[in-house]
Amino acid sequence: MRLLKFKRFNFFYDPYLLISIIFLSLIGLIILYSASQESSAIIIKQSIFVFFGIILMIIVSQPDPAFYKNLSGLFLIFSVFLMLLTILLGTEVNGAKRWLDFGFFTLQPSELIKIALPIFLASYLYDKPLPINLKDTFFSILIISISFFLIVFQPDLGTSIVVLLAGFYVLFLAGLSWRFIGSSFAVFLLSTPFLWNNLLEPFQRQRIATLFNPEADPYGTAWNITQSKIAIGSGGISGKGYGSGSQSHLDFLPETTSDFIFAVIAEEFGFLGALALLSIYTFILFRCFYLSLNARDRFCRLTIGGLSLIFVTTIFVNLGMVVGILPVVGMPLPFISSGGTSLLSFYIAFGIIISMASHKKLIRQ
Amino acid sequence: MIDLQERFIERRSFIYRLFLIYFLFGTFLLLILYQIFQLQISNYSEYEIAALENKTHEMNIQPIRGLIYDRNGEVLVKNVPTFNLISIPNKVNDPNSFIDDIRNFIDITLEEEAIFYEKFKSKARYNRELVIKRNLNEQQIASFEVRKHNYPSLFVEKRYSRYTDYPSILSHALGYIGAPSEVELSQILSEALHPRQETIFSYGNGFISGKTGIEKTFDNELRGKFGEKVYEVDARGKLLKEISIKNPEEGMSIFTSLDLGSHIAANKALDGRMGAVVAIEIETGEIVTLFSSPSFSINDLSNGISRDKFNTLINSPQKPFFNRALKGRYPPASTIKPAIGIFGLENKLIDWNFSIEDPGFFTLPEDGRIYRGWKKGGHGKVNLNKAIVVSSNTYFFSLAYRSDINKLGDHFSQLGFGSKVCIDCFDEDPGLIPTPEWKRNKLNSGWSLGDTVNLGVGQGYMVATPIQLAYYSGMIANKGFINKLSLIQNQEQSLSHLIALDNFKELDWNKLHRAMTDVIDSPAGTSRRLQDLKSFKVAAKSGTAELVSLDSKEDYLLIRENEEQRDHAIMIAFGPMPSPKYAVSVVIENGESGGAVAGPVAIEVLKELIE
Repeated sequence: MRLLKFKRFNFFYDPYLLISIIFLSLIGLIILYSASQESSAIIIKQSIFVFFGIILMIIVSQPDPAFYKNLSGLFLIFSVFLMLLTILLGTEVNGAKRWLDFGFFTLQPSELIKIALPIFLASYLYDKPLPINLKDTFFSILIISISFFLIVFQPDLGTSIVVLLAGFYVLFLAGLSWRFIGSSFAVFLLSTPFLWNNLLEPFQRQRIATLFNPEADPYGTAWNITQSKIAIGSGGISGKGYGSGSQSHLDFLPETTSDFIFAVIAEEFGFLGALALLSIYTFILFRCFYLSLNARDRFCRLTIGGLSLIFVTTIFVNLGMVVGILPVVGMPLPFISSGGTSLLSFYIAFGIIISMASHKKLIRQ
Repeated sequence: MIDLQERFIERRSFIYRLFLIYFLFGTFLLLILYQIFQLQISNYSEYEIAALENKTHEMNIQPIRGLIYDRNGEVLVKNVPTFNLISIPNKVNDPNSFIDDIRNFIDITLEEEAIFYEKFKSKARYNRELVIKRNLNEQQIASFEVRKHNYPSLFVEKRYSRYTDYPSILSHALGYIGAPSEVELSQILSEALHPRQETIFSYGNGFISGKTGIEKTFDNELRGKFGEKVYEVDARGKLLKEISIKNPEEGMSIFTSLDLGSHIAANKALDGRMGAVVAIEIETGEIVTLFSSPSFSINDLSNGISRDKFNTLINSPQKPFFNRALKGRYPPASTIKPAIGIFGLENKLIDWNFSIEDPGFFTLPEDGRIYRGWKKGGHGKVNLNKAIVVSSNTYFFSLAYRSDINKLGDHFSQLGFGSKVCIDCFDEDPGLIPTPEWKRNKLNSGWSLGDTVNLGVGQGYMVATPIQLAYYSGMIANKGFINKLSLIQNQEQSLSHLIALDNFKELDWNKLHRAMTDVIDSPAGTSRRLQDLKSFKVAAKSGTAELVSLDSKEDYLLIRENEEQRDHAIMIAFGPMPSPKYAVSVVIENGESGGAVAGPVAIEVLKELIE
């Protein structure tokens, strides 16, 4: 029972998640200060996001899960609408249209789909018998594909893959038949060469190729991976000390405040610092694992499972890229990297997880 | 809706599937941890070095070149500071008004301004210095100094030029410096701490290396060792701050055996005529004079010369760049006669009393060909002493005629001909001793007796350089023993050389010295006109090298109309007698009479050295 009774209303929360996420956010601010080379502008902006993010998380965790179940369709339609708006009116940065500019705030609607899609699928599948039949499977895949292709053509490979995975996590957890999984995997393998040639942009193909041979081209596309590895490696066991990372402070490391912030941590706090951060993430994941096993109903189970798996996927895609075992795709480190919509989307996601974990089903007397 | 049974199955399936995904992620987490462990712990040192190399930028610092001294401690070549006005573009906001501002107190030419604008951006990006104006004069420096507190982005810095106070007198001995070739540069930089890096220059003209003369031979010693300055840099290569500095090691100074005064005297005596003077200290083999004329300014060559001026020099028919002292190939002419005399005595072809009748020419018995002397009618009855004093050609023609050519060649070789005689001279020519074998290979014809006869008076195929003549002269003066020649004072490991003679003894040396002294002091001597020029006794032998083979004096009067065909005047001399200290050789191209033209030059140089 995670419920504080006040005179007027009940306050729903999960102490483990709340404390660890707030703690992680504060650590993120401290690291960001060094990673941004002591830029107060970035820190102030990020602090505002963190502050409102935490408030948003607490607010989002108050309604009963039924609220999300009922509104999930609307939420997804709204997100897709924003995506279409982005395609029409979006701001173009580096050849990619990902953002809607609201003046005081730029919104990245793909980050909203990342949450809306698994919740919608959970609400669609929660009452379907096992295994999921073909009709429901294809409907789910249709919804997933629409979301995926809207993002992939922005182009934003990283987010689109996460959205794709988010959909399939829910579908899989809901009981997708193994026969279907087996046959579609075979189709995927056969179509890989086609996807490689037609779906990926040349620069994306280059990034994947770079992964397997980074030393071949130290000043070209492999520069980022090479410098990231140097930053991490030169951190050693205990790091160079806070604010003393030469790789990040002398601009050798790219994107220090966003994608490559883990390299800053590893450089300045060493192996021990990296382990500490991973421990916090692991703690959150185990908590989510526990919560999803003990969720009050199937909808909550699927939602907590889907959202927490997006979280862990984001972390691992980011870490895998920074340590050089996955290709370079733009992917933030949750609660640490600077960034607006992506940060807020995780606060919302955890708000929903907390809501589902802390509301017990009312048993009719 | 699903029933309770189904709900139980559903929950179990969910748990299995979630567990499966978490298991996959757990594996992936281990993979990431393993990779981080590899980077941070297993390969730590490798990445630590990579990070260090990333953030540091080393620059070589050019060392100051050593000085060159003469034997009396006089500085011959030094480093003269010039001052440059240098800016730090990184600290300059508006380059246009910046230059206008400087114009208020130092004149900036349009060309200098254009260079400044062109390089401004890149220099600012990488935080490098940018030279605005070179070679400031005192007034310009002063007008900057009083204003310098207003210009934090400007400073005046010292850069050196290689400079001598005697630019044309010592040009051939000292040589000049210049920009190294690619090969030289990579060799120079391989000795620096960081090859291929940027260099902070101490010299206005960048990388320098010796090109000729002592500057070239002792380039490694003079150069010194590069220092280094280490900067912290960012990813764009911008210099942020200085981390450490290791000062360069100055080059070694070279204490040469050269005597400045004798060069001045030689220069004055030659007075621009084409020729060379070499003088050595007999006891040590040290070269005290190495002079070639005409000459050029090594200051110009070392520090920049206009193309026109350079072209004039290089195209001059007088060939000022040609070092006649080391590379000039001249027939030794009559100066070879003492060597022929020594050969005759050593091989018992003659003795001091042996005499012949000199009718003014020698007839080769085999074919009746006539070899003429310089004096019509001849010298009458001549023995070796008289033959040297009056320079009787007939005597030496007949002596050579009786000599074995191969033995004679070996003899010349022992006297230093046909090979290099200096251990540290730049680009010395070995000269040539002709042998039957050489003639067959080179000219594809057999050796004739006439060739041997011609050698008796130093004509024909034999050529010697002035430095070889000086060496030969020193060897006669020192009675068959001399060190290999060197330009360095107090050399510890001198290569000494003793001529192997069995039948030519101390007494014979003394007689030879007396005969050579009589070349000047006897009323019959060929160089008797030199008597009054000096206050000490000098032994000498003059020579007049014929460039065109002629049958009569009348023919020569015809060809001497063309200055280039006139005879070379040659003189070897040593003194003061009877215990000589210095030996000298003089060649004056197209100077005609050796005794009369080259003689006074030799005397002037000896006088300067001895007095």
